[in-house]
Amino acid sequence: MKLVHCFVAGSMALVSADTKIAELLNELHQLIKQTQEERSRSEHNLLNIQKTHERMQTENKTSPYYRTKLRGLYTTAKADAEAECSILRHALDKIAEIKSLLEERRIAARMAGVYNDSDPPRKTMRRGVLMTLLQQSAMTLPLWIGKPGESPPPLCGAIPASSDYVAKQGDKVAARVKAVDGDEQWILAEVVSYNHSTNKYEVDDIDEEGKERHTLSRRRIIPLPQWKANPETDPEALFSKDQLVLALYPQTTCFYRALIHNPPHRPQDDYSVLFEDTSYADGYSPPLNVAQRYVVACKENKKK
Amino acid sequence: MSDLKDCPPLKYYDFKPVEHVKVCPRYTAVLGRSEDDGIGIEELDTLQLELETLLSSASRRLRALEEQRQILTDWQDKKGDKRFLKMGKEVDPAVSSRHPKPKKPKLEGKAGHGPGPGPGRPKSKNLQPKVQEYEFSEDPQDIPRNPKNDAPNRFWASVEPYCADITNEEIRVLEELLKPPEDEAEYYKIPALGKHYSQRWAQEDLLEEQREGARANDKKKSMLGPLSEIDAKDVDALLKKSESQHEPPEDGCPFGPLTQRLLQALVEENIISPMEDSPIPDIPVKDDGAGTSPRSQGKAFSVPHTRSLEARIREELVAQGLLDSEERQGTGGDSEDEVLAELQKRQAELKALSAHNRARKQELLRLAREEMRKQELRQCVRVADNEVMEAFRRIMAARQKKRTPTKKEKDQAWKALKERERILKQLDG
Repeated sequence: MKLVHCFVAGSMALVSADTKIAELLNELHQLIKQTQEERSRSEHNLLNIQKTHERMQTENKTSPYYRTKLRGLYTTAKADAEAECSILRHALDKIAEIKSLLEERRIAARMAGVYNDSDPPRKTMRRGVLMTLLQQSAMTLPLWIGKPGESPPPLCGAIPASSDYVAKQGDKVAARVKAVDGDEQWILAEVVSYNHSTNKYEVDDIDEEGKERHTLSRRRIIPLPQWKANPETDPEALFSKDQLVLALYPQTTCFYRALIHNPPHRPQDDYSVLFEDTSYADGYSPPLNVAQRYVVACKENKKK
Repeated sequence: MSDLKDCPPLKYYDFKPVEHVKVCPRYTAVLGRSEDDGIGIEELDTLQLELETLLSSASRRLRALEEQRQILTDWQDKKGDKRFLKMGKEVDPAVSSRHPKPKKPKLEGKAGHGPGPGPGRPKSKNLQPKVQEYEFSEDPQDIPRNPKNDAPNRFWASVEPYCADITNEEIRVLEELLKPPEDEAEYYKIPALGKHYSQRWAQEDLLEEQREGARANDKKKSMLGPLSEIDAKDVDALLKKSESQHEPPEDGCPFGPLTQRLLQALVEENIISPMEDSPIPDIPVKDDGAGTSPRSQGKAFSVPHTRSLEARIREELVAQGLLDSEERQGTGGDSEDEVLAELQKRQAELKALSAHNRARKQELLRLAREEMRKQELRQCVRVADNEVMEAFRRIMAARQKKRTPTKKEKDQAWKALKERERILKQLDG
């Protein structure tokens, strides 16, 4: 009886979340349309700038007239770009809001699933599906785009969390766990809770096949980045070539030590990394791609 | 170079907006939808990526624009040219408020409105190139050239004096400088030592008293003036005589040795004469006078400045030539006179310095003369160069006319060449 009640309450919550999401989607739609209006409005000016540039370059000198004109054009274009940025940020915020609602719904559903024996959750998610999900989540990790003069915040790209940062429930982390055979391993995990008195996290192995819950001290937890760093505007927020990192080995849920082979060049690009691998002559694997989301700083310097 | 200097370091970024139709298909699709169709949740991820692409591009554009605009502004400010400043002032409000410029209302207004959306745009596009051509033909001469030429000229002008030829005028100035200045001797003079201030004051006091005394005496015996002078001399001679026998003053006696001796002498000489009869001016007189009268003694005792009295007497005696000025020798002694020592030290310094300066000036003069000689030679070289070139041209002209150069031309050429070589050798040597 109690279980049924829970379930009903959950469903109602889901329904209200649904309408909320529908609303937000509608707003998003409006924002996107406004974005395009703004963009086509500024297009004229950009074209004008381009023409002026061409003319100035062919004339190969700058008269005060052109300088003044250009300055005027730049000022206008700047205002346009600011407006465009602001509306785009708005739209992206909206998406993030929808996503967080969806995430809440997911967690709620899982909680419901835990208590509801009659509805066994996707206990045995197929590996391939899990991998796709991980890729997806890496790809849609929001890109951090600061306003001019703003520097990237912690947990953007390679910038570590502040020392007193506490990962929230549902956050993905790299967790150092002891495997059955006694070896230590960095696994991809999701935070369940954090105990402030003991300074310990409870985390779930993301690979639900393990179905294991670990209690780990915060030293053994590295929060994953929450934003991608934009290589075009904030290259300093990326790991640089030859830096030692922990990276998620493709098609697994484990982090291994690796060297950055190439940092990404565009926002959607992945890192190219060389994993430490003794089965290769030079001790490193050939370059493999790993998303920004799954590359974190490697703290320990000793060999494993 | 001048052009480079004239252009702000603009990068001419490509501000082309993202072609969303190609790059952002989902975004484009969503744009085309009616509100009823809306957006599906499954589309969010893709949309997010596309919006991020747009935002990234827009904010990159924003940064670049800000940077370029700053470059323009800085560059304009740096120019500091009044005309630029004036123009900038005029233009700034035009830009920010998009109001037509008061001066060229037609074209500026168009330019200002051009960037914005509106029906006026195509027209302004057509108009602008014409106007720009016109502006170009005028501006480069007017504005950028002035500041451009100014700095190097000023620089070279400042450097010129260091590189210019040496002229006779400069040599003359040097020679003038070498002459020892007339007032040089002035600085090596050691002025005679003046009287010690205590003596001078004492003398002044004495004079004053004498004047007062004379006034008093004049009333009584104005005729005795010249006599007393002569008598005074005699007294001094006596004093001098008795000086050798003089002993240090007894304790309790406030008068100095000279005073005492003077009085002593008077007392000895005049002991018989009746003191009542002798008036004061007669004191120095040998035959009469009443130096020992209790009245005068008492008066002397009451004088507070016995010391200065002593000094005054000594001074007076010295002035009369009756006393050898021992003091003068004493104070004139080198060992004790700090002022003199300092003076001599400074003079030695001055001597060394001026000797050094003289040596330098002489060296400079020598170099200048040498340089003058070389300059003359260089002038000759230039002349010779011209001659050689002239000969060369003549021979080349002959060659072109396909005739061999005449002997005269050849000789001339050789002569010019040899002459030039000779001068060069001289210059090197």
